[in-house]
Amino acid sequence: MTTSPVPARLIKWLLVLIAVVISLFPFYWMLRTALAPQSQQLADGLGFWPSHLDFGNFARAWNKANLGQALLNGLIITGAILLLQLITCVPAAYAFAKIRFRGSGVLFGVVLACLLIPTQATMVPTFIGINIFGLGDTRIGLVLPFYSSAFGIFLLRQQMLSIPDALLDAARTDGLGPWRTLLRVVVPMSMPSIAAFAVFSVFTHWNDYLWPLLVARSPDLATPPLRLAVFQQADIGFDYSALAAGAAIVTAPILILFLFAQRRFVQGMAGGEIAG
Amino acid sequence: MTTILDKPMPSPAAADKPIKPIDPNRTRATPYVFVAPAMSGIGLFVLLPALLSFIGSFFAIPLAPGANWKWVGFDNYTSVFGDPAAHRAIENTLLYCAMTIIPSLVLGLLLALLAESLRHGRTLVRTALFLPMTANLVAMAVVFKWIFALQGGFANQALAWIGIAPVNWLNDTRYSLISVALVGVWRGVSLTMLLFLAGLTTIPGAIHEAAAAEGIRGWAKLRTLILPMMKPTIVFATVLSILTSIQAFDQINVMTQGGPQESSETVLTYTWKVGFSYFQLGKASALSFVLIAVLIGIGLIRRRAFSAEQR
Repeated sequence: MTTSPVPARLIKWLLVLIAVVISLFPFYWMLRTALAPQSQQLADGLGFWPSHLDFGNFARAWNKANLGQALLNGLIITGAILLLQLITCVPAAYAFAKIRFRGSGVLFGVVLACLLIPTQATMVPTFIGINIFGLGDTRIGLVLPFYSSAFGIFLLRQQMLSIPDALLDAARTDGLGPWRTLLRVVVPMSMPSIAAFAVFSVFTHWNDYLWPLLVARSPDLATPPLRLAVFQQADIGFDYSALAAGAAIVTAPILILFLFAQRRFVQGMAGGEIAG
Repeated sequence: MTTILDKPMPSPAAADKPIKPIDPNRTRATPYVFVAPAMSGIGLFVLLPALLSFIGSFFAIPLAPGANWKWVGFDNYTSVFGDPAAHRAIENTLLYCAMTIIPSLVLGLLLALLAESLRHGRTLVRTALFLPMTANLVAMAVVFKWIFALQGGFANQALAWIGIAPVNWLNDTRYSLISVALVGVWRGVSLTMLLFLAGLTTIPGAIHEAAAAEGIRGWAKLRTLILPMMKPTIVFATVLSILTSIQAFDQINVMTQGGPQESSETVLTYTWKVGFSYFQLGKASALSFVLIAVLIGIGLIRRRAFSAEQR
């Protein structure tokens, strides 16, 4: 490989640097605002770091927006959705990938069609239905519409297709039934895509705003983004320090998860994308 | 392909023993048992609502559960297409798409190529560039609202620094849509870059070696080799960008709530208002169905592009 001339490399790095700065700037600004004393927000001007740190903003955000409870709600709801999606999608993906059965083509076509329809576009009837069954403003109402995932079936199936048939035959010869084959052979071999899907699911539902905004009417049920949005619309308007601190608290868990899971997530998602 | 069902069935003697779980009837039912829970979920909460929003769009839907729906024919659609606010929302959504999709794709590709070509610090640069995609959009919208604040916001401080008068980013009808679109681009680039990076890694090393041996480099290599090989990724990234942009909601609802004077109202924020602030659920269904039709249309184009590619 030839080395590019020095100016080209310099320009390359300069562009990358600009992109990284723009990409990270809002996070930096969030932290800076969250750590500066409230009184200094307007006076500080372009100061790149507050003259002294004030952690009181975090306490104010935590208490006023009741973020502790929101984080707990987020954890319960995201966790419940993830668990249900894994229970429903893993066997379905296995059946679509490795078992030939009548109607599988049509059913998989339904999965592909559902991949194109986002929850946002179906929210009106789903909302009416959830209310008819008296599940509006309940945790069940927040979780139930997401107990299965077309994307999950699709992504997991892509990887399961690559499991060698010989291995499944061997499992059968050893007397393993379909259930035990699923649990002992297919699941361990699909771990990369299961992990990628799990991260995707947690991202999606932790960050979801629209559905909780509709369903969670009572403040006790609010998820972190919803609580933050309500906090933002309340009369505190100009308390940007507390808002930024709240934003940091809501963002932190998912960023930490991403930093840990980045490799697997990127690889797993790439697998789903290539087969399109 | 050999599957469980293709294998010879166990002998009757073996099937009689309860220990062996390979009873033919059970084996035949197994795939259906495997797919049933997942299919019921997407059937009940994706397919059925999509159909119902089509059916519901022909009715006046009362809010109270149990009350009767009233058939109104095409009234909801007439109301949508005759509504200046709906026109405004559709127009804004198209503008928002134009402002976000092309920059996201071009910058995403450029950054993926740059990040891929780095010798040092590649992982660090990637992580930094992926972060916008993962962050909570509501939280980031709160931060952006402060960055774009008229007084004391960073954007206006930076403008003042270079001698430009402050801009009322979020409360001026000329700038509100641009402001929320900037946030859309900030996040969109991060996602397309991830997809393009994944696509770049699928190009075999031999291609790079062959290109180097032939002396094909730079722009020529990009145009004649890399871009054609990445076509599936490009199609996928384009479709995903379009879908994301059409459904823009979170940051708009937090930053401007569609205002001022509907200047940043999009189809989804407007559907939301019609359905859940004005409680015209039939009209909201009509709007939803128009959205679903557009999204499925885009999805079909994608499948077409893919099957053309694979031939």
